Amino acid sequence: MKTIGIERKGKDRMADTASRQNRFTGALVRMRSLNVFIIFIILFVVFSVFSPGHRFISRENMKVFLSAGAEFNIVAIVVGMLMIAGEFDLSVGSILVFSSWNFYVLYNAGVHVLAALILVLCIGGIVGFINGIITVKARIPSFITTLGTMLLWRGVTLLWSGGIQAGMDLEQNPVMYKAFTGVIGDLIPAQFLWFLAIAFAIALVLHFHKFGNWIFTTGDNRMAARAMGINTDRIKIVCFIVVGAAVAFVAMMQMFRASTFSSRAGDGWELSAIAAAVVGGTALTGGVGSMMGVFWGALVISIIENGLIFMRINYWWTFTVFGVIIVSTAIISKYLEKRRIMMGAERT
Amino acid sequence: MDDQKSAETQGATADTAGNGTPLVKMVGIEKWFGKVCALRNINFHVGHGEVVGLVGDNGAGKSTLIKVLSGFHLADKGDIYFEGNMIHYSSPKDAKRLGIETVYQEQALAPHVSISRNVFMGREPTKALGFMNRKMMDEESMGAITRLGLRIKDPEAPVEALSGGQRQGVAIARVLYFKAKLVILDEPTIALSVKESQQVLDFTQQLRAQGISVIFITHNIFHVFQVATRFFILSHGEALTDVKKEDTNIDHLIELIVSGRKEKA
Repeated sequence: MKTIGIERKGKDRMADTASRQNRFTGALVRMRSLNVFIIFIILFVVFSVFSPGHRFISRENMKVFLSAGAEFNIVAIVVGMLMIAGEFDLSVGSILVFSSWNFYVLYNAGVHVLAALILVLCIGGIVGFINGIITVKARIPSFITTLGTMLLWRGVTLLWSGGIQAGMDLEQNPVMYKAFTGVIGDLIPAQFLWFLAIAFAIALVLHFHKFGNWIFTTGDNRMAARAMGINTDRIKIVCFIVVGAAVAFVAMMQMFRASTFSSRAGDGWELSAIAAAVVGGTALTGGVGSMMGVFWGALVISIIENGLIFMRINYWWTFTVFGVIIVSTAIISKYLEKRRIMMGAERT
Repeated sequence: MDDQKSAETQGATADTAGNGTPLVKMVGIEKWFGKVCALRNINFHVGHGEVVGLVGDNGAGKSTLIKVLSGFHLADKGDIYFEGNMIHYSSPKDAKRLGIETVYQEQALAPHVSISRNVFMGREPTKALGFMNRKMMDEESMGAITRLGLRIKDPEAPVEALSGGQRQGVAIARVLYFKAKLVILDEPTIALSVKESQQVLDFTQQLRAQGISVIFITHNIFHVFQVATRFFILSHGEALTDVKKEDTNIDHLIELIVSGRKEKA
């Protein structure tokens, strides 16, 4: 980093070097998403080079990474938004399996696939609404609320389904099947495009819409937001609803891909999603985060999950690696944050 | 009764510049919390373009008086007039609508959010479909901050990058931009260094220069003596004095505060 400045003769050389160096480190410090992007690229290169037979970079695996990964990434995106509003959702994995089961039941009962899809989206939204209303009206930390609903919805699904795994013939709906599992140019799966579209839409709202400003200020200083007339309870409830509906959407996307209902779907996603958001620079305390950061954070988590399989090492290593990555990014994040504040103070 | 009379005569003199009535007038305000009398027969007014130093120890009733004025508490007795019209609050929003804005120390800003987003928090100017007009937000927020005499370069910088004095400036710029007629500064200097406190005093002067009336709440008479045009001293829920700056001096005020006894007018 010290050689970033271009060597030049003259007495302003030192100042010039310093300012260039500042600009580079400055960009690193200010743009959290850039850091996460660099981590992603490093992981990508490491997996490509070191996976036996370079199978990680194969077309087949890229399709798997982009499609299966996209499902988790969408969940991470909405969880990131909710965390910016200052709340958690530990029940995303359970909402996912509950939505899957609802879709399975409706579809097998002969409900038109589109109607089933819309119904399940609504159920997802209602489940999210329940999380939200309990959290804001009963003034219970969402950590506790959603810990409860996590157990509740998975329990309900297991009881009702009998813990089965069952095939479905979703290929019979060509249009929908294509919309969820099609592949463009034999490389880009439809799931990935859905991920891009949802990430883009949420980024637009979060960073450019006034509702996004309300989300940030609600998460950052709820009292201030309320004093300025923002209905912070409503903001939080809406975020919970969006999480519920998005997770239901992912549940169905997953069933189209796998053509199965599995009562283990979404297991463990609640913590991976929070990890993705944190790796992407989202604060656990709310009010801090960016969609770009969460976007790359989600990709980092899903690339680890995918890449380690090809490294021919025990799958259980993923947990260990997650642990190390999460803790180290949290430490780096804290350090960068301090630097950023100092620089901000300099600028003014 | 003496107090009331003197308050009224002073009100009349302070308003000669305005339209004849004070901006805000509170008459015979009384407030009880259970069996505790927080305010006892308070007559308080703020004229156009005045800076009133509301001074008193902790528990003197400063906050209660201000909360009654800004609609958070309802008075048990007494009337409030704004520009000569009696007002009945149903919520703090009513006070805002009239142009009475309170700047609190801790509740004002979201620290991790940018300056311009803080200034327009909850009142964002929008283009189509509710998308924020960020260019306008940046320009207008910087404009309001500059009008206060504060120099900040980057409207996108997070508030936590600012010093305590600058933060107060941002919070005050917000009420300035939204055309407040009366700004209540609640202990604006309490956590600030000497230099930062001076900055807040400068902001207060600027507000006054823009024709905005200010109530400056503090328990430190030294902080407010420089900028206030009138002093209203509370002790145990009662008014000790209501005196214009030219009719008093700092030693006299300190004596009053320390003794905690009413002035013999």
